[in-house]
Amino acid sequence: MTVIKIDKTEFASGLEKLKGSNKLFSPAKKGKDFEFAKLDAGEVPDLEGCRNTGMSPKSLIYPQSETMFEYTTEEADPDANLMKDVEKDYAPRVVVGLRPCDAYSFKLVQRNFESPEYRDPYWADSYEATAFISIACSQPYSTCFCTTAGCGPFHEEGSDIILAEDGDGYIAKAVTEKGEKLLADAGWATTAEGGEDKFASLKKAAEEKVTSSIDISKVRDMAILDLYEADFWEKEAFACINCGTCTFVCPTCWCFDIQDENKGKEGVRMRNWDSCMFPLFTVHGTGHNPRDQKYMRLRQRYMHKLKYYVDKYEDDVLCTGCGRCIRMCPVNIDIRRICDKMNSYVKA
Amino acid sequence: MSDWEPKIVSFFCNWCTYGAADLAGVSRMEHPPNTRVIRLPCSGRVSPKFILAALRQGADGVWVSGCHPGDCHYIEGNYYARRKFNLMKNLLEHMGLEPGRVQFSWISSAESTKYVQVINEVIETVRKLGPAKDFVKDKPKVD
Amino acid sequence: MLEYTNKIQEIAKKILSEGKVDMVIGFRKGTIPMMSEPCFVTDADGVGELSFDSNCGSNLANYIMDRKEKIGIVAKGCDSRNIVNHIIENKIKREQLYIIGIPCRGMVDRHAVGAALGGEILEAVENADSLVVKGVDGEATYSLVDMLQDNCKTCTHRNPVIVDEMVADKVEEQQDTNPYEDVKKIEALSPEEKTAYFDELLSPCIRCYACRNACPLCYCPTCFVDESRPQWLGKSQDITDVKTFHFLRAYHCSGRCTECGACENACPMGIKVRQLTKKLNMDCLETWGWEAGLTVDARPALDQYNLNDPEEFIK
Repeated sequence: MTVIKIDKTEFASGLEKLKGSNKLFSPAKKGKDFEFAKLDAGEVPDLEGCRNTGMSPKSLIYPQSETMFEYTTEEADPDANLMKDVEKDYAPRVVVGLRPCDAYSFKLVQRNFESPEYRDPYWADSYEATAFISIACSQPYSTCFCTTAGCGPFHEEGSDIILAEDGDGYIAKAVTEKGEKLLADAGWATTAEGGEDKFASLKKAAEEKVTSSIDISKVRDMAILDLYEADFWEKEAFACINCGTCTFVCPTCWCFDIQDENKGKEGVRMRNWDSCMFPLFTVHGTGHNPRDQKYMRLRQRYMHKLKYYVDKYEDDVLCTGCGRCIRMCPVNIDIRRICDKMNSYVKA
Repeated sequence: MSDWEPKIVSFFCNWCTYGAADLAGVSRMEHPPNTRVIRLPCSGRVSPKFILAALRQGADGVWVSGCHPGDCHYIEGNYYARRKFNLMKNLLEHMGLEPGRVQFSWISSAESTKYVQVINEVIETVRKLGPAKDFVKDKPKVD
Repeated sequence: MLEYTNKIQEIAKKILSEGKVDMVIGFRKGTIPMMSEPCFVTDADGVGELSFDSNCGSNLANYIMDRKEKIGIVAKGCDSRNIVNHIIENKIKREQLYIIGIPCRGMVDRHAVGAALGGEILEAVENADSLVVKGVDGEATYSLVDMLQDNCKTCTHRNPVIVDEMVADKVEEQQDTNPYEDVKKIEALSPEEKTAYFDELLSPCIRCYACRNACPLCYCPTCFVDESRPQWLGKSQDITDVKTFHFLRAYHCSGRCTECGACENACPMGIKVRQLTKKLNMDCLETWGWEAGLTVDARPALDQYNLNDPEEFIK
């Protein structure tokens, strides 16, 4: 795959070219954090200022609230009482400046939304329409543990182009066909001499900066029920206030709730992010709630990420190690500590 | 908007204002038809959720009316309600709701004249404010 | 407040080993700098886990509702006022509690420190009245007083109002603070400007309900947000629904809020959600002279009345 060197001016002019036929999104300072926002003509993203965004880029593909259908019960309307698809904009989009872990997260989420048996049209169409130009991490957070969560600061899977900061410019590596095409469309063409080697050395240096880790080596072989019934859950869940922060900031939490909203004779069917931390997530029509204690809900989240998913797909964890849940949790529930409890658990 | 007429949702206590409305009616006292009345056992039954629900569903104004202090059928319901309304109204207006959108009154079952006077006042205040804008729930604006 | 840790451990050890309580609820050191995690200890040998510093902004009263055990609880001024609320509201019995009182000098706002430092806090060392933090680009020292949470800056009830044993002598209460300055500023705006202000304030909300759940006042078995018949508000990011949620959440706290700041401290988006509860608190104080949670002998503002309560707004 092509590896080239782009200087900052070229980078900016290339993005302008891309804006002609794509909608661009990149991190922009908003409130106390950076968040993804549309990049208008003439705007250059501040890729150096943003170590990572507060919210993950998940909502660019899978909005927190998304209208799927609309309907009317107005008899005079020929489409009365029909659920009609809402028109969607799946014009080409490019996300610039997301971190490799976030780009990788879409590959994990894809398992849920686009499997051999089932295809979620909203997520899949949106994902297909989007290209990702990620920027490798040279300065990971102390809470980042990507290298033990199946990816890393220079991880390529999920990105179409990956950029690495190099002096006054970037080394850009096209990872996919889509990426190659983007390089051409943007007019970024010069081949970097020794770019591949430089890229590898930057990668090695960055990976060494990720000092935090998780280990699920023993979790893999544990019986699900033993872990499920383990005695540490109540203690670990004590502080948890059962808010949805960890699930909403997580790039790989994908659950949603479907709601109908109507006014007069008009209505829509929409889906909104849901959270397994909320009691309502599992409450039955009868009022019975199989997860009526908060430790059960906390256990669900971590078992799903670190055990059920791993067992089901015989893969790595459903987590990219971005560390957002650790940084954002109001009461310091730390996935690394819970993972450690799970991995070191010995059935009495 | 020239033919726009304000829609008012009224929450009336069964023991007083509801009776006053009834009395005004049987006494053939003319008054405007812009209110939709919801009868409650006491003004103390009014929850802020009701007021929000009315506004959200498109009421241009909300009018809550109960018994004069000291006259509550349940001895003290309206005393609690009075404190509740005070904070509720202040907070709604703090968040940008125009003063006059939500109004309160004490009207006993004998005060049909006051009833007619207040209903006119309520409607005219809301008419001047125009159609409601705040807390009105339309088709969700999300994308 | 670092010296409090030893005393907390000592008291916890004593009451656990004497069998006075079944558990002690306090804080343990967090896994990241400037963070503490609420925790409990049931064994006198385990009290070493307990710690206290200026990063204990969570309200521990949130963890005692409906518990059946005898509980030792570490309580700052605001926490103690929420314990009073719980006693009044029958969420816990006074006899169940052994309150370990913290004379509080205010909790540090880690978001403010992060913003001042301009990045991630890699290490933080707290001294008597200063904070030395290390970031990616070097070290900085801040005075603790400058970095306090907004509510702590104007707090006038730093000493617990209900207590079984204090960990140290009482601190001096702040005088002449002006907690409602910003509320008055908003009040001076026109309705349109107020709407715009709150739309802007609340638009980053992600509906995670951390503000609600961090609050010890919010313990309804089914929150109005989760009620479905009738459904009071939608669940989407629609701004009207977001505002309806915040209005009702705040209103449910009226006459009960102790300005502990747990809601703001918890918000992952950094929203100043106390702009709503503060207005209610100000009205309670100005209208009825009421401040929540100061004594178990008075009913909360909305659970009492005077015959001559103000009613100019009623026709």
